[in-house]
Amino acid sequence: MKNNSDIILKTEELCKYYGAGDNLVKAVDHINLVIRQGEFITIVGKSGSGKSTLLHMLGALDNPTSGKVFLDGQNIASLKADSLSKIRRRKIGFIFQAYNLIPSLNVWENIVLPLGLDGKPLDESFIEDIIGTLGLTEKKHSLPNTLSGGQQQRCAIARAIAAKPSLILADEPTGNLDAKTGDEVMALLKTSAKKYGQTLIVITHNEEIAQMADRTIMLTDGHISFDDAASSRHNTAEEVEDHAEN
Amino acid sequence: MQKTNTVFNLALQRLRYHKSRTLLTGIAILLTTMLLMGIATVSVAMFDMNRQMASESDYHAIFDGLTPDQSAVLFRHIQVQAMGTTEIFADIENGKMNGALIYQESVRDDRYPDGEDGLAALQIESGHYPETEDEILSSPAFFRRVGAEPIIGGKVTLSFRVNGKGEIQTKEFTISGLFPDVEIAEELDDSRIMWSAHVSKALLSQYEEDGLYQPDLSVYLRVYGEEDLTYDEMEERINAAAADVGLSEENIILNKQYLFTMTDPGTEIMMIAGFICLVVILFSALVIYSIYYVGVITDVQEIGKLRALGASGRQIAGLFLCQGAVVSAFAIPAGLLIGFLLPRFLFPLVLYAYYATALTSTSRDAADALFGQIHMFSLPALFTVAAAVALTVCLSLLKPIHMAKRISPVEAIRYQENSTDRKSRKGHRQIKVTTLTFANLMRNKKRTAVTILTMGLSCVLFICVSAVLSSVSAEDMARRNIAKGDFRISLDYSRHDTEYTENNLDSLVQEDYFNDAFLAQLASIEGVEAIERDHGKILSSTEIESVMYEDYENRLPLSYFTKDDIPELNANLEQGTIDYDRMTANHEVICTHVYSFEQYGLSIGDVIPLTLHDGDREIPFTITITALTSPDSDYPLLIMTEDTWNELGLVYDPTTNIYLYVKEAQYDNVKEALTDIVAENEYFTLFSMDVEMRIGRSQVSLTVYPVYLLLALIAVISFINLINTMITSIVTRKKELGILQAIGLSDRQLVKMLSGEGLVFTTGTLIISLTLGNLSGYLLFLWAKKSHFMSISRYHYPLWESIGLALILLGGQLLISRMISRKMEKESLIDRIRVEE
Repeated sequence: MKNNSDIILKTEELCKYYGAGDNLVKAVDHINLVIRQGEFITIVGKSGSGKSTLLHMLGALDNPTSGKVFLDGQNIASLKADSLSKIRRRKIGFIFQAYNLIPSLNVWENIVLPLGLDGKPLDESFIEDIIGTLGLTEKKHSLPNTLSGGQQQRCAIARAIAAKPSLILADEPTGNLDAKTGDEVMALLKTSAKKYGQTLIVITHNEEIAQMADRTIMLTDGHISFDDAASSRHNTAEEVEDHAEN
Repeated sequence: MQKTNTVFNLALQRLRYHKSRTLLTGIAILLTTMLLMGIATVSVAMFDMNRQMASESDYHAIFDGLTPDQSAVLFRHIQVQAMGTTEIFADIENGKMNGALIYQESVRDDRYPDGEDGLAALQIESGHYPETEDEILSSPAFFRRVGAEPIIGGKVTLSFRVNGKGEIQTKEFTISGLFPDVEIAEELDDSRIMWSAHVSKALLSQYEEDGLYQPDLSVYLRVYGEEDLTYDEMEERINAAAADVGLSEENIILNKQYLFTMTDPGTEIMMIAGFICLVVILFSALVIYSIYYVGVITDVQEIGKLRALGASGRQIAGLFLCQGAVVSAFAIPAGLLIGFLLPRFLFPLVLYAYYATALTSTSRDAADALFGQIHMFSLPALFTVAAAVALTVCLSLLKPIHMAKRISPVEAIRYQENSTDRKSRKGHRQIKVTTLTFANLMRNKKRTAVTILTMGLSCVLFICVSAVLSSVSAEDMARRNIAKGDFRISLDYSRHDTEYTENNLDSLVQEDYFNDAFLAQLASIEGVEAIERDHGKILSSTEIESVMYEDYENRLPLSYFTKDDIPELNANLEQGTIDYDRMTANHEVICTHVYSFEQYGLSIGDVIPLTLHDGDREIPFTITITALTSPDSDYPLLIMTEDTWNELGLVYDPTTNIYLYVKEAQYDNVKEALTDIVAENEYFTLFSMDVEMRIGRSQVSLTVYPVYLLLALIAVISFINLINTMITSIVTRKKELGILQAIGLSDRQLVKMLSGEGLVFTTGTLIISLTLGNLSGYLLFLWAKKSHFMSISRYHYPLWESIGLALILLGGQLLISRMISRKMEKESLIDRIRVEE
């Protein structure tokens, strides 16, 4: 028996095609996924395998060609733009490879931006806590262009966590960082997600990071070629057995 | 060779890659070219129109009040190229009709030795100029007006007073010729038309021999040198000729419009024109510069990359100039073409607008004749515009190169706006959409300032010109004849007619035409709301004959002012001081006509003994002139204080004008009733607002509409500049806006944020244009008033233009924000986040 109550994200026959005829590219092709609360998942695969496209659809940044994405039981593929904005700022935290901080805002403002957009009252002690955890206390008033890459990505992580989203999506968060900084940032991301009970989905090329995850999904040409759902500590004993038999 | 090709190809690739920016800069260049070309074309057209209209009366000056002897000397004057004489022989006496019998002659014209097309040549449709003493020539309309059939050989009997005085003569004339017919607007009151008919030299000679006519010549004059001399030199030459025949300067009336258009302008005009050109070029340079400036960061980054790859400074400059050249190669010719074609098609509309307000068919014909004939194209103007724009583009392009040179290639690659001078920001604890708006505006204060300044300047230009235009008001012109209310009934009086004394004011006041019964009759007309009398006027004779001129008929008109009038009188004070109590105590008066003051040789402190004529009573009264002012309102020549006036103890009612206020809905009925009432008394003249407005509009339209055309061009271009600036600023931030949306900025919030930015631009623009624009507008108004442009006298705040500007800016930027975000929605969020400028 599957426990459905802790499913946070589910896809049904999710497809994203580009072009038509001979030029048709099936970036994501009939993907069915179930992701549970608190999981730390890495998505791996070669360039062009559809990782980012999948992540964007999971994060309500892109519309699928067909299929459904259920976030907290709600099919977000059918929602209007304004509702999607709300979902993005309340339920999803994004971390990009290129940090994508807003250059005109300082570190603090960048972090509280999703909250501000939502018009939520600010839990300042919570934000201070995140900033402390990520080691940005000294840099609160700095503008992004004065920060190092690692500092910028930590700021982006803080921004992703600040609104207490249930889901954090990261697209190669350490791709622009050196190995040491990348490890630090990843450790911080994992710790924070665990600390605040958030589900973390990370796209990576980095073997070490993939190993840190509870579960790894490999994409090949838009299909899931491997999903070690069996290793997930959140799966029930029966499911592990099923998986082993398969 | 290979190198330049690489640079050129790279330039093309870059233009293609940054499609939207290429398009926007192209549009900016096109618009600026269009504005400059539009202004040049309209100016050339106006100049040509003035030239053509001026050539209708191609004399340089009129010399007034010449004796036949002086005329004879002038005839032999070596500088005189052509001259024609006009003699006003007699005033026509026919009820309320204004008319004169004149004799006109082209006495010399070196340009046409055969004498055919002399200076005073007339266009006679049929027949010939009067030769015998009973012949007469005029337009068919004239003959119809005096009740005669307009055919050659027809008879017409006219009453007239030779030299405007003496006994009324009646004579039967034979029509010897006819001018082309004139159609006159129906609503034009008889009293506003000046009729004239030509009679023969033989008739004048006959009366002169009998001692009944004293010739008073006006000479139309051309002097040599129109092609070579400047305006100032021509004026000097004309004055010299006048001095040679002993004519003083006040008797010279220069044909300024003609001289302005036909001669090289004087230095003052050149300076003003140069200044205006400079302002327009500066303005357009700013527009182009601001468009480039908005995208300068991307350029700096690219220059960094190219420098890192080893491109030399020359190659980079070449690359950017190449880009500019390619865009300009399309945009400038297109701008020149549109800038020329737009006025080309709109200018006839201006003429149509004039056509619609023209009061007589002759002025309509004149406008008609101008259609299609106006020369609007000027090659030097075209080249100047193209060169000015090309130069501006070059200068704007050098900016990013210059910026990139100051920093290392690696820094240039990472270049962010203001990254060098700001490290931190105090910021806000909590973020709202407005915080985002201001953070973005503050990120590059300079860019924000440049944008606001550019937009502001174009609007300053708009408000400034509107201030002058709104002061050119048909109503102001109308108000000169009807100071208040909707109608004026005025008393037609003579000052000192020795032959027919019953027409003099002192006789008329004894009749008491404006008595209470009459006013009650007026008040009883349905629709009349209020009736006011004017201050009244009293005439006085003076023993100092020398200060008087004959045309004042030895009678000075006097009235009074109240304490309420002092601000207006003081505002226009030219000499002396105004102190009500002192003036009352000393019987001091203010002279209100600068021109007459000078002409009569008056000066402050003059003590003049007068005899006031209050009906049949004579009041000796000595005045002292203590101030000279030129108020906007119409006052009689001399005004004393109200208290002094009351001390005079006048027995008769000195009212000369009645003003009526009527309900708008019953205007036409009242007018009809008043026309009937006024027709019953030959001393009454009715002035109605609709006619005055029509006359005012007709005078205003030809000057004002072309300028409005120019104004519309400026407005359109400023507005497109706003659109362009906003689009550019958004396009260059596409990625940033994408990120904001990715982390939860909704479409509505995006619109709010962009509108907020637009609102700041709009507010800034409005502040600049309403302050600077109104200030410069007022200064321009003062200049226009001083130089008697369109007889502007009263400053009108350009309220509607300001409101219109504000609404267009506000509405426009809201619309643009909405449109842009709508367009952005269509592009997927992912594409926007990934975009690399």
